[in-house]
Amino acid sequence: MNLQLTLAARYLAGRKLRTALTTLAIIFGVLLIFGMNTVLPTMMAALQANVQGAEGEVDFSITNVTGEAFPAGVLDRLRDVDGVRAMAASLNRTINLPPDYVDGDPSHPDTVIAINLIGVVPEEARSLRAYPVAAGRYLDESDTASAVISQTLADAFSVDVGEIFRLPAASGMTGLTVAGILPADIMPGNEEVLVNLPQAQLMTEEPGKVNLIELNVEAFADQARRAEIQAAVEAALGESYQVGTLMAGDEMFAAMEMGQMALSLFGVLALFMGGFIIFNTFRTVVIERRRDIGMLRALGATRRTVLGTILAESLIQGLLGSVIGLLLGYLLAVGIIQVARGPISMFVNVQMGAPVFSPVLVVVSLLLGVGVTVLAGLIPAWNASHITPLEALRPSLGEGEFNRGAGRGFTVGVAIIVLTAAAILSGQAALIIPGGILFLVGLVLIAPAMVRPFASLFGKLTAWATVRGGIGGLAESNLTRQPARVAVTASASMIGLAVIVAAGGLVSSLTGTLYDLMQDNLGSDYLFIPPSIGLWSSNVGASPSLAEDLRQVDGVEAVSTLRFAATNTNGVAVSLLGIDPVSFDQVSGLDFIEGSESAYGEIAAGRNMIANGSFLLSTGTKVGDTVELLTTDGKVPYRIVAAGSDLLNAKVTTAYISQSNLQADFGSTEDVFIQLNLSPGADRAVADAQIKALAYDYPQFRVISGADYFASIKSQMDTAFSAIYIVFLVLAFPSLIAMLNTLTIGVLERTREIGMIRAVGGTRKQIRNMVVVEALLLAAIGTAFGILGGLYLGYVFVTGIEVIFPLGYFFPYTGILAAVAIGLIFGVLAAIIPARQAARMDVVAALRYE
Amino acid sequence: MSLVQTQNLTKIYGSGSTAVTALDHVNIKIHDGEFVAIMGPSGCGKSTLLHLLGGLDTPSSGKVFIDGASLAEMRDDRLTELRRRRIGFIFQFFNLIPVLTASENAALPVTLDGLKPAEAAAKAKEWLARFGLGERLSSRPDQLSGGEQQRVAIARALVAEPSLILADEPTGNLDTRSGDEIAGLLRSVSKQYNRTIIMVTHDPRIAAYSDRIIFLKDGKVVDETLLEKKSNRNAQIVADRVKEVGD
Ligand SMILES: Nc1ncnc2c1ncn2[C@@H]1O[C@H](COP(=O)(O)OP(=O)(O)OP(=O)(O)O)[C@@H](O)[C@H]1O
Ligand SMILES: [Mg+2]
Repeated sequence: MNLQLTLAARYLAGRKLRTALTTLAIIFGVLLIFGMNTVLPTMMAALQANVQGAEGEVDFSITNVTGEAFPAGVLDRLRDVDGVRAMAASLNRTINLPPDYVDGDPSHPDTVIAINLIGVVPEEARSLRAYPVAAGRYLDESDTASAVISQTLADAFSVDVGEIFRLPAASGMTGLTVAGILPADIMPGNEEVLVNLPQAQLMTEEPGKVNLIELNVEAFADQARRAEIQAAVEAALGESYQVGTLMAGDEMFAAMEMGQMALSLFGVLALFMGGFIIFNTFRTVVIERRRDIGMLRALGATRRTVLGTILAESLIQGLLGSVIGLLLGYLLAVGIIQVARGPISMFVNVQMGAPVFSPVLVVVSLLLGVGVTVLAGLIPAWNASHITPLEALRPSLGEGEFNRGAGRGFTVGVAIIVLTAAAILSGQAALIIPGGILFLVGLVLIAPAMVRPFASLFGKLTAWATVRGGIGGLAESNLTRQPARVAVTASASMIGLAVIVAAGGLVSSLTGTLYDLMQDNLGSDYLFIPPSIGLWSSNVGASPSLAEDLRQVDGVEAVSTLRFAATNTNGVAVSLLGIDPVSFDQVSGLDFIEGSESAYGEIAAGRNMIANGSFLLSTGTKVGDTVELLTTDGKVPYRIVAAGSDLLNAKVTTAYISQSNLQADFGSTEDVFIQLNLSPGADRAVADAQIKALAYDYPQFRVISGADYFASIKSQMDTAFSAIYIVFLVLAFPSLIAMLNTLTIGVLERTREIGMIRAVGGTRKQIRNMVVVEALLLAAIGTAFGILGGLYLGYVFVTGIEVIFPLGYFFPYTGILAAVAIGLIFGVLAAIIPARQAARMDVVAALRYE
Repeated sequence: MSLVQTQNLTKIYGSGSTAVTALDHVNIKIHDGEFVAIMGPSGCGKSTLLHLLGGLDTPSSGKVFIDGASLAEMRDDRLTELRRRRIGFIFQFFNLIPVLTASENAALPVTLDGLKPAEAAAKAKEWLARFGLGERLSSRPDQLSGGEQQRVAIARALVAEPSLILADEPTGNLDTRSGDEIAGLLRSVSKQYNRTIIMVTHDPRIAAYSDRIIFLKDGKVVDETLLEKKSNRNAQIVADRVKEVGD
């Protein structure tokens, strides 16, 4: 064996713990790359499925060209089509109910005049849509005459779970037991009655038939891929079937693209982190071995020999670590999917098979693992080859040289951070987005210089906390003695924790924005919903007396109504909504793009209006402009005082004016949509009865509880995002390894010194405390940096998405708390092994340690 | 001609107010086969001089010539080869590679030079045996005593049969008898094989084995004393000289 290999093997074998730790770092790097990339697509697909399911949107719906039912077996023709994530066949029939069927009162028109009977295969249907039953249970394969219905239908029929309601059917009157009740749906359309497919076939006398197949395509399919899948579906079905694409809209695509970008970004971060840990280890290896290397150089070893020795070592470890990392990564993927399977398929039946062992990914991971290891080893190896023989004789110059490098790095780092901060202030997405990675790089660069002040700051804290330990100062100086290594470790933990904070920022901003929007628009206690939302002109409204009566109900705090008039400006059709500026603000609210709540006062004051985004876009106007609106008496000028929108009208060209102006200029006094809130102390049961009694005379409205609806959507969203949190947690794990690695190496490196401290009377406890305090300092530095980096990164994500979807930045308090907790816990965990090792060290052996 | 020569050799560490002048215009000449001892108080620049002579460090000004060639003009590769083939080092501290055995450590210079492992091991064994370590060939440094480690380091310095041996306190870790043995051995190597040896020592008794003693003080050569061969009074002469120069 040649000298390089001998030395590499001896060093590896001689420092078993350190070798194990380095290999562990590589294992973790590869494990992350491989495991995450195996599991992330599955998780993201699950997330997408959940969001899609909650929204109730499907990608393709297939019907027979004749519109007739077709054999259920047709579904099987699609089984082999590539790119289909989930599909379900169903039998949908509208059942018109005889007059007064529901309430039996001839003097009063029914709220429900027809229902949609839907026969489904329960688990199949649940793979496309969420059925978040609020009471009872979802359908079961073995159910026969059981149904799942909405709260509004249950109210109309006055039935509860376990009770029976009857429907007229082709097969005659059929009693169905209510198995479960879904929250009221705000979407327009007939009430749905969900039964098992055979039951529906029985009731409609269409045995073995279905009339609709719906399917969702794989996650992240772009337009071209969708077209390809659609073509494949059409080919599999033949001429007699047509495929309708209920396009989920561009926002969905944009969101998916963001998802994919985030995916690759996390892959890169994982790699970065793995590389960091390995780099850190080899750096310390080189520092630790300066004397040996210097000695070799003094004895005539060439630079190439030295370089070769270190590279041989990294190659051996890279190979070993990568192979183990692959195996563990696969197990990790299996594990995560096992754990996540339950929560993630709570609402939508997401099929998550075993992770795919993709050969390409295996090769890529191996190459990356070995490649990154050798690369990470390269800089230290190159440094090693430039160690002068003098290092053997006067060891210590290394850090001095480094400090000069750190000074330069610091300047560059500060410059980068200033630039990226300026990017944030500029508010330009094009600048902010690339700023994310740059900011992290900047932090990495200034890290070495920050170690000393940070350590002394936190050191003072710990010294204050452990006044009598007499060891806090030692821990602090241990850190400041090796600012480079501490900086690299802190950087590695920083990236891990930054990911958590960033993810927290992203998720809290996403959900926060969404929840805020829903809460504002639909979160009121009661909603009176007309048959069609958005297309207001087709609705029959109610006279103002209904709202007035509602206001009189005991416990009702505020009532807000929408009134409608159609108009146009310069040939663009505009949906004009009249709001009561005072009560609207109390019960509902707009999402302002430009301007604020003070605009409500302005629209009350004169011919002023609030326009939504679609209005501004289609009329080419901006806030401050005055537009002419067409009335029966000619044109009247309205000034746009603010831009804002609500969820229900976001896609319709809409302007909001005061109800008094609507009445004066457009003559409209009909309420088409009513929202009301109860006062906090109200007797809900009494109020509920009175409100429903009043609503009885207005069957054009469906009355639902917005709060319940909101809660149901929220729990579905929370479920969807829980999966993402699991993934991020795993991503944070390498920071633990990084800290463990640094601390252990730190202890090894100081073996002699620790022996000396023990020899002059230091107790085991003092030594242990020293290592633990050091670990906590290290963790504190990493956490502080991680939070900074994470905040920026999160902001970047949000800004990125904001380009497509209006999203507010929500400060990720949970993410930060999680990062702090994880940082500290990891700090202590990382200290356990090295602290024990240091405390148990045999004094004599330690003093002999070279 | 002289094998080793310096010309106004100066080494200044640091700069400004913290500058330390370790060597100050040192001019010495050492001849082929000469055994020279360098003495002087701690911190006077002995180690620094040795490092410069071996091309391990670069002078602030002045030159070192070996066999008439200036080290300053050599590139790293040439210098490395010179160290490997022509110079043997014995250092004051930190001598051995901890993961290699005594025999592997001693064989390093020839292994690095590309000698076959078996031959390298044979050479190392031969030298180790001369120093009484024939039985400890496969011991690791941490299994050897300080003196034994030092002897391995000396074997390593001699194994490539270099023409110049630079020894920094080679007997610092040894008891009187072993110290005498090593010094005697260095002397016999010098005489038998015509090797030039430059040895730093504090010990007048060890210095007495040399042909000439150069006294350094504050980075300057302050005295040179030629010693007669095989004189029992040499140790006493050196001790007196040390007192005179002012330790
Ligand atoms: N890297 C350095 N930076 C600054 N000063 C140095 C450095 N190395 C050596 N010195 C100083 O240079 C002077 C000479 O050092 P040198 O090691 O050559 O002394 P020495 O004669 O070998 O001493 P000793 O007998 O104690 O080994 C000393 O004053 C020392 O402090
Ligand atoms: Mg010295």
